[in-house]
Formats: sequence, structure tokens, C-alpha cells
Amino acid sequence: MRYYETLYIVNPNLENEALDITMGEIGTQLEKTKSKLINHRVWGKKRLAYQIENQKYGSFILLQFEGGEQDQMNEFNTWMKLNNSVLRHMTVALDEKPEVYVEEVKEKPVEKEAPEGTVKETPANEAVVETTSEETETTKDVSDESSEEDTEEKEAE
Amino acid sequence: MAFQSRNKFCYFKENGITDVDYKDVRLLRRFVNDQGKIMPRRITGSSAKMHRKLVRAIKRSRSIALMPYVDLGSE
Repeated sequence: MRYYETLYIVNPNLENEALDITMGEIGTQLEKTKSKLINHRVWGKKRLAYQIENQKYGSFILLQFEGGEQDQMNEFNTWMKLNNSVLRHMTVALDEKPEVYVEEVKEKPVEKEAPEGTVKETPANEAVVETTSEETETTKDVSDESSEEDTEEKEAE
Repeated sequence: MAFQSRNKFCYFKENGITDVDYKDVRLLRRFVNDQGKIMPRRITGSSAKMHRKLVRAIKRSRSIALMPYVDLGSE
């Protein structure tokens, strides 16, 4: 299957939640064509080179996917045209498989993990410690038993 | 003296660019005059192959409003 890229412009006055909703709608609509989403991200709010529907600015959203069924993709195209929240869209065939866009994920998890740990420690510090200690104890018991059994077996032999 | 030749070179060949992306407006702006017209190959010196790719990219970026069809310079 071929890879495609759709760049579409959304009204810049949409707030983050409304933007997420429209992006979600477009994503689900595209998945009906049995195409696989690779990237779907906001490219940024940019000044348009010419006014579209009396808008001077637009938020550009980039959508990269592996193509599905051709008829349904044509339907998706017309659906996008009729979609009022989309000012303009354009689909282009790509030569190569697009790389999965990673949005500074390398830094974020590290930051997230650290605050989560600190948060956990303050309210439920004791509980966490207890559970862990219990777990260790049980595991120890099991290991002890198994070791004892082993030794017993060995002795029997 | 008056007809001293300037060394023309293909910008893409010089910089090892093999594909022109329509989203790269900063690059495309080089090959357009201040009215927004595509400059001829005769002036930019780009190779025929790259010029075809360039033209396609500029037209694509015009249709998605990244570049102007006509830049009147007002506003």
C-alpha cells in the first residue's frame, strides 16, 4: 500500500479541546477507510498566504497514514471537503514510509516518573512500603520453602 | 567587461538536496520573486530535474495557502 500525507487547515479560533475533538473525528473517519494512522499532529498556527473564509491565520495539522481502500478514501476526501471546521485540505502521496514523529518523548517520561514517585511517597508512603515488604516476605517464604523442598528432595535422594 | 559571466549552479545539487518538500517554505521562497512568481530556470540555474520538482512543490504549497498565488506586498 502507498503512504499518504494530508495537510489540513483548521479554524485558528478553536480551543484546544475543540481542536482535539475535530482531530479525533477526522481520525475516526479516516480509520473507516481501513488505513493505518502513522502520525496525526498539530504542525502549528501559521499566517495564511491568502485569506480563506475571511481567516488570516490557520492551525495546520499534519496527518500521515498508510492508504486503505481507494473508494472509501475518495469518500473521506469528499467528507473533508464538506467538513465545515476544515478550511482546506490536501492529500499527497509519499515516496517513502514516513517516520513516526516523536514529540520530545525522551525527556518527558523522566520528568513524569520523578514527580509521580514523589507524589506517591508523601500520601501513601507507609502503605507502599508495607506492600513491598509483604511482597518481599512472601517471595522470601516461597523461596525458602522451595529451597527447603529442594534440600529435602536432595536429602531423600 | 560588460558581459562577464557569473558561475551559475544548481542550488539543490550543491547542497545535496534530492527532494523538494512543499512544506519547506523557507527553501521555496528562494525560487520565487517578490510578486510570488516562480523564477525561470535560466535565472536560478537549477537543473531541469530539480526545477520540475520545485515547481510542483511551489504549486502544492500555494494550494494549501503556505505560499501566495499573487503577492501584492500590501497589508
